Amino acid sequence: MATPQMVTDAKGIVKVYGSTEAVRGVDLQVSKGELYGLIGPDGAGKSSIMKIIAGVLAQDAGDVRVFGTSIDSEASAEAVKSRLGFMPQGLGLNLYADLSVEENIDFFAKLRLVPSAALKQRKAELLSMTRLKHFKDRPMKHLSGGMKQKLGLICSIIHEPELLILDEPTTGVDPVSRRDFWSILHSLIQDRGITALVSTAYLDEADRFTRVALLHRGKVLLQGTPEEMRRSARGSIVSVRAEPSDEAFERLRAWTPQIERRGDSLRVFVGERFGQEAISEVTEKLSSFRIESAEATDPDLEDTFIALLRRDEAKPAAPSLISRERSVASAALAIEARDLSRVFDSFRAVDSVSFQVRSGEIFGLLGANGAGKTTVIKMLTGIIPPSSGSARVGGIDVAAAGGSVKTRLGYMSQAFSLYQDLTVLENLRLYAGIYGISGARAKRRVDEILDMADLHVFLNQLSGRLPMGVRQRLALGCALIHEPQVLFLDEPTSGVDPLGRRSFWEVIYRLAREKGVGILVTTHYMSEAEHCDHIALMYAGRAVEDASPAELKARLEKEVGRILEFSCADPYRAVELLGTNGFSGPALLGSRVRIFSKSPDADLVGIARVLALAGISHGEVRERPFTMEDVFVHRITGLEQEGAA
Amino acid sequence: MSFRRIQPARIAAIAVKEWREIVRDRLFFALAFLVPSALMIVVGYGLSLDVENIPLVIVDRDHSALSREYAYRFISARYFRFMGYASSIDELDRPIKSDRIRAVIEIPPDFEKNLIRRNPVQVRSVIDGTFPSRAQITKGYIIAINGAANLDLTAREISSLIGIPEVVAREKLQPIRIEARYLYNENIQSRWSIVPKLIMAILLMSPPFLTVIGVVREKESGSIYNIYSSDVTKSEFLIGKLAPYVGISFCNSIVLFLIATLVFQVAFKGSVPAFFFATAIYVICTTAIGLLVSVLVRTQIAAMIITIIITLLPAVLYSGLLFPISSSTPAARVIAHLLPAMYYTSIVDNIFLKGEGWAAAARGSAILGVYLAVLFFAGYSLFSKRPSR
Amino acid sequence: MISENKRRWLTQVYALAIKEYLQIFRDITLMVFMVYAFTGDVYFAGSGVTLQLRNAATIVYDADRSQASRDLVRQFRPPYFSVEDAISMPSFPVSGDPSRGGDSELARGDAMISLAIPHGFERRLLRDESQSLQMRVDTTHSIPGYLASMYSARIVNDFAMRSSPLLSQLPPSVTDFFPPLRDEYRTLFNPNQDEGWFMSVSQLLNVITVFAILLPGAALVRERERGTIEQLTVSPLSPFQILLPKVFAMTSIVLLGTFLSWFFVLRPVFHVPSRGGFPLFVAVTVLYVVTSTSLGLLAATIARNMAQIGMLTIFLVAPMIFLSGAWTPPEAMPAWLRVGTLAFPLHHYINASYAILFKGAGLSIIWPSCLAIAGLGSVNVLFTLRRFRGI
Repeated sequence: MATPQMVTDAKGIVKVYGSTEAVRGVDLQVSKGELYGLIGPDGAGKSSIMKIIAGVLAQDAGDVRVFGTSIDSEASAEAVKSRLGFMPQGLGLNLYADLSVEENIDFFAKLRLVPSAALKQRKAELLSMTRLKHFKDRPMKHLSGGMKQKLGLICSIIHEPELLILDEPTTGVDPVSRRDFWSILHSLIQDRGITALVSTAYLDEADRFTRVALLHRGKVLLQGTPEEMRRSARGSIVSVRAEPSDEAFERLRAWTPQIERRGDSLRVFVGERFGQEAISEVTEKLSSFRIESAEATDPDLEDTFIALLRRDEAKPAAPSLISRERSVASAALAIEARDLSRVFDSFRAVDSVSFQVRSGEIFGLLGANGAGKTTVIKMLTGIIPPSSGSARVGGIDVAAAGGSVKTRLGYMSQAFSLYQDLTVLENLRLYAGIYGISGARAKRRVDEILDMADLHVFLNQLSGRLPMGVRQRLALGCALIHEPQVLFLDEPTSGVDPLGRRSFWEVIYRLAREKGVGILVTTHYMSEAEHCDHIALMYAGRAVEDASPAELKARLEKEVGRILEFSCADPYRAVELLGTNGFSGPALLGSRVRIFSKSPDADLVGIARVLALAGISHGEVRERPFTMEDVFVHRITGLEQEGAA
Repeated sequence: MSFRRIQPARIAAIAVKEWREIVRDRLFFALAFLVPSALMIVVGYGLSLDVENIPLVIVDRDHSALSREYAYRFISARYFRFMGYASSIDELDRPIKSDRIRAVIEIPPDFEKNLIRRNPVQVRSVIDGTFPSRAQITKGYIIAINGAANLDLTAREISSLIGIPEVVAREKLQPIRIEARYLYNENIQSRWSIVPKLIMAILLMSPPFLTVIGVVREKESGSIYNIYSSDVTKSEFLIGKLAPYVGISFCNSIVLFLIATLVFQVAFKGSVPAFFFATAIYVICTTAIGLLVSVLVRTQIAAMIITIIITLLPAVLYSGLLFPISSSTPAARVIAHLLPAMYYTSIVDNIFLKGEGWAAAARGSAILGVYLAVLFFAGYSLFSKRPSR
Repeated sequence: MISENKRRWLTQVYALAIKEYLQIFRDITLMVFMVYAFTGDVYFAGSGVTLQLRNAATIVYDADRSQASRDLVRQFRPPYFSVEDAISMPSFPVSGDPSRGGDSELARGDAMISLAIPHGFERRLLRDESQSLQMRVDTTHSIPGYLASMYSARIVNDFAMRSSPLLSQLPPSVTDFFPPLRDEYRTLFNPNQDEGWFMSVSQLLNVITVFAILLPGAALVRERERGTIEQLTVSPLSPFQILLPKVFAMTSIVLLGTFLSWFFVLRPVFHVPSRGGFPLFVAVTVLYVVTSTSLGLLAATIARNMAQIGMLTIFLVAPMIFLSGAWTPPEAMPAWLRVGTLAFPLHHYINASYAILFKGAGLSIIWPSCLAIAGLGSVNVLFTLRRFRGI
């Protein structure tokens, strides 16, 4: 290998939109062969930087060099574009909906003058690698989100660029497809020596990068390897179960902002403390509470980043949205689906789905892209009529519902559906008006929502120009403005940064517990699924399981045994080796390898032997508790294999 | 390095992609062909200045044989639809205001008596002047009828005075005859005159409209980033993007030509290849108008409205569609000369009706070519692959 | 309780109307263009372009070059004719290709009429011999061609009658009688035949039509494309409440444009009268715009995307504008089409507007037009609401 060569060398990038400074002097160096990550909260300037480097947006100041060429004019940008591949943000937005998979690929290839022989070969290779081969004649608009992103990837590398720029390629993609996407991307980069600059809103993905830049408010906060990142915010995560739980939460939050609910327990980040020391620091604060369990673990990267961002911002904890009054937990049915089916032409998008959500409950609907979740929600909200079965809200059939039911119903759709040419404030006022809220009450509600969604900075910005995560926060705000009793949230946190997601879930939780709101939510963040009281998994239009997260995990454990996990030097090869040596369910999570094990003791030895033979050094093999992601991936992959067979 | 050779393969790729998108939107695709033809047929039948059946009322205040004879000249004329007699003009105020009557002929009292006594008589015509062109034509018809009546009365008078036959007297009164030959449109049919020029109007309005829809759609959806981020040159993109729309519009021009010649039976007297050569240039030129609008405008709503407004007026009023540009005021003539429609109108007239060929096509096409160059260059310079927003 | 419901209803409609205004006013390009359409475009339509015979370029090939021939040529004068240096053209027009039947000036379009005065014209005239003059008329434009030939016939006939030796034999007491009919013409409502009036008002009505149909239609389709319509469907709004603010906002904006046009162009530049009262015109305009707006919304319930609504609108608007009588008189259309145009609200609106502005008609006269507009509007609204429920 030659000496590492700078693929991108940017100094002092500045980008201003109107009165908003999106990028405020960013330096960025990407060397050849790197998989470089851009992470940071919404509005940190990630997209602008990527567009500037891709030469599709003119910067206001700064020296940007790509392959040594200074990008300072349209002509100089043109000079390097043949060596670049760029995929903009948004699920399939740059693809052509009416064109088939193959026609999309052909178009991009011909645009880049790929010789037809090479195109044929590459196309065959990439299609089989991404398992899109059987769908090559399908119009792009009928692909699932994961497939769209894989197609987008193929289209942006069909001309074998030296630098690949991907703006949030995995946002809105389900966990199975997301893993798939990363492993494809990884092998492409390795095989072809491509350098990649990738941004993501999923911070657990940051472990996959060789180097990362953490951006915040248009500046680079920190730049380095994921390991270096970890070292810069050391500490532990203490998971504690204390009763009464809500008061414990309030107590701890007064002490540290970095706290979240995870199922029954509270997760607290304790800086610079480890093991028992960290635990006792937390339990001390909870002296008057009954502590049922407490354990300390290493923080994951998401925790680290949040800690880093908090340090930069010293932001006060989000104030609570809901008045302190406590509603009586009722057993009334909020949402009920009874044998709900929907047929489009001859395609059964939803196949006799039934579930019940009571007031005060959070119900999660999980499933791969295209499983039918959105269609279920559209039937329950009365946007489309069911083909058969009934959709009830508050005990009343939605199809026959009048204004009174609709007033109690809040809906946040998957596609960003606010008025893009209206400002944040105008949108909020509009939605208040739509629900007939006027005068002092409207003013109060708008203020409360602005606080809750932390939107004050964006007050007078057009919502179409907001970063994706801020838009989602605004959309949630609009859905909540009339204090609905039943709430439908379709991928509400898609593209939202971890800080936003945590305060978001705080709001959801309180709505359910304190206001007795019945909530149906879909999400691709499996960590969020833990917040739900019960969960249904959807696959191919059917709801296959309906149980609490704990129950789902227990069922899985019964089936596959325990989880063993370790870090190692070459995780990709390790996964491959373990698979060929008959270990069950080897997979890569971030930089760590995990397998299922019914006899942990024997497998510990086995792993060590296999890796030692291949000369791969590894860290300590540990048992770790099941996560919802394990459940999801295992169940869905199983169903997919069943379906394929 | 700023200038790179244009790669036909890229243009083809963009054109093919655009074509597929157009074809797969069935309703849009159908309307793209249907609208121009339907417009041609409906408007071709309807757009005419041949005013006939003008509702007319006669106020005969004489009630004599002579007055009835005079009135009958109007009643029998095919230009007028006789609505009946009235006793005074005053009572006609209402029907005139509500468009039931457009013209009134008033025959004064003692019409016959005065004529017999050789006193000239005032005959008054009242015309609804709301629509000046219609008023002028109506007046023309009345002038012609009055002229004939005068000739007959004079001839009759002279024949009785000097005892020559009326026929001879009439001949003597009209020693000069006009032998008029109507050129190019021998039967003076409004349809022959308007239908070929309608091709001009429709091809001015529909290609840019199709184009703005296509180009701005790409801008709004975000797929324009594929173009920005690749090394496609601006010319390649613009040419490839416009090609399908030019193609559709050119096909439409063939259909319009066939409608004109087959449905409306307008005689085509000139050279077909020359006509289509000039038409191709014109279509590219009007498509480029759409390109310019779409480069300047961000939203589809604005793009569509702007295109309709800026093409409608030039297509109808500053093109010579209904009336020759030479009748306009000097200022209007200058504006007409600055717009492309007029040049193509004269190409259509010359080739279609006057039977000319390549010479006429070349003359107009040269000017349209300059337009095309200017429009394309403007679109090219305003389009940036590295915008600042 | 009722007043509470009413207040709620109004709050909802008000919020949506505000939204419509914000969206339109925020599209700066559209706003600038709208101002142009209601002022500049109307101005250009009203100034200079004529649909009457004016300055028909006439070429006279005078082979006689006599006093009589000069006298005759002098009769061809403005405003109808403009004779280009007749006398200097001595040769009889045999240049050009006779088989094509035209001479070069006519073929090139430099002249519309060519008149040949043969050698011996004056001599024959004095000898009371009948003779004929050759005239060629370019009828590529049929109406001016027809008018030009008719006017020249009249000129030549009058000239001939005046110079006829037959009449000079008669005593003046008799000749004074000729011509026996003295025709007098009165053109009502627009005695000076000011075309600026007519063309500018026509164009204003066209511009109103384009905006009133396309603007709300496209706005509704955009809501569908962006998915915002789903949010409205989920909310406690009735279809009527969703559509009403659109109609209201669009109508008021178009009305604003109409005022702009009226007070900055039509009145000061073209001195367009408003004999039946401007308020009545405004009232009819409101009625018409509401009708057109609902037509646009109806089209939007059919179209799935912007491209489709665009083509559909053209499909509706173009025939309406061409055939409703803004440029050509409806009398000139075949009967079956004239019946068809009754379905165009613009047809009735044009009739009503001309009647109010130029003819001074009041409601007692134009009510049938208003009724027709309202009737068509109700049909639109009914269908739109029905289709909109089905979305």
